[in-house]
Amino acid sequence: MNNEDTAGILSELELEILQEIMNIGFGRAAADLAEVIDIFISLSAPKITVIEAVNLIRYVNTEISELQTCSIVEQPYLGEAKGVAFLIFPHGAEKEFLSYFQDKDIDSLESDILIDLEKEVLMEVGNILIGACIGKIFELLDGLITFQPPRVIIGEKFTDHYIKGSFSEDDSVITMKTSFSFEDRDVHGYLFLVNRGESGVTLKKALNEFWEKQNAT
Amino acid sequence: MKILIVDDAMAARMMLKNCIPAEDNHEIEEASDGSQGLEKFKSFKPDLTFLDLTMPVMDGFETLEKIKQLDPAAIVVVLTADIQKKSIEKVEALGAYTVLKKLPTAEVIQKTINEVREKTGK
Repeated sequence: MNNEDTAGILSELELEILQEIMNIGFGRAAADLAEVIDIFISLSAPKITVIEAVNLIRYVNTEISELQTCSIVEQPYLGEAKGVAFLIFPHGAEKEFLSYFQDKDIDSLESDILIDLEKEVLMEVGNILIGACIGKIFELLDGLITFQPPRVIIGEKFTDHYIKGSFSEDDSVITMKTSFSFEDRDVHGYLFLVNRGESGVTLKKALNEFWEKQNAT
Repeated sequence: MKILIVDDAMAARMMLKNCIPAEDNHEIEEASDGSQGLEKFKSFKPDLTFLDLTMPVMDGFETLEKIKQLDPAAIVVVLTADIQKKSIEKVEALGAYTVLKKLPTAEVIQKTINEVREKTGK
């Protein structure tokens, strides 16, 4: 598998377990969204990477092209693990999402109201995907987390707003990335979960307990 | 009975194997993507295949289709995290024996194996 831990927080087995848990979490998330807007979402195998925080931006730019223009739904979570979920879509995806909720009155809306509506829809899609995915991950790990409200940011603010403000040079981050696309629309996206390295201890313990429980059957 | 497990996640393969009773002495082979799975299917000729959907190189949908082309009577249990209604409908239309959601319990896996044993006489 192409998981990687350059910071030495998680073992190879722990990375594999986390990858499978992310797979299950995002599978649930996709099913939840697919029910709401009656679409088919093509999924891919997740990738877990643990890196030093100072390398995070370079890593994200490598994984996602044109990050600067992307629309990003950002949602922090707290509790036994602390992190932020980023649902990243190329510019223009919000218009595609709005089309799923098209009704006859939308075309008559003024452009500034339409922009707000597109943002709201993007946040709602983010809320569903992020909530279901993280919820399932931490349900499997018997962990309790709470969410802060989501918000939409533009890619160019990702560096300034989040990375520079949130990490010191000594920090490590655990990223969980999955990509997906919608069958009948040219929409694809990425879900990134960024956990502070200090969550690594909690995650390690939870992953090992999960594994023991699975192997006790 | 010969069982083939096709899943890109080593952890998933290990968890599934753990659900299969060791005392039954099933012969088990594994593959880590759909393409490998197809090759193993041809060489190993399993009685039962557990197949994941979300895999690199060749996904489970394509793998299932190709397995059924090779052997329309092949018994393929789709074991997946992709629990979308349309995914389930798609694999059922492609001829999956049944669809199980991850994480399966040992009871569900053992029940499935027993059903296949009764069906095949193996």
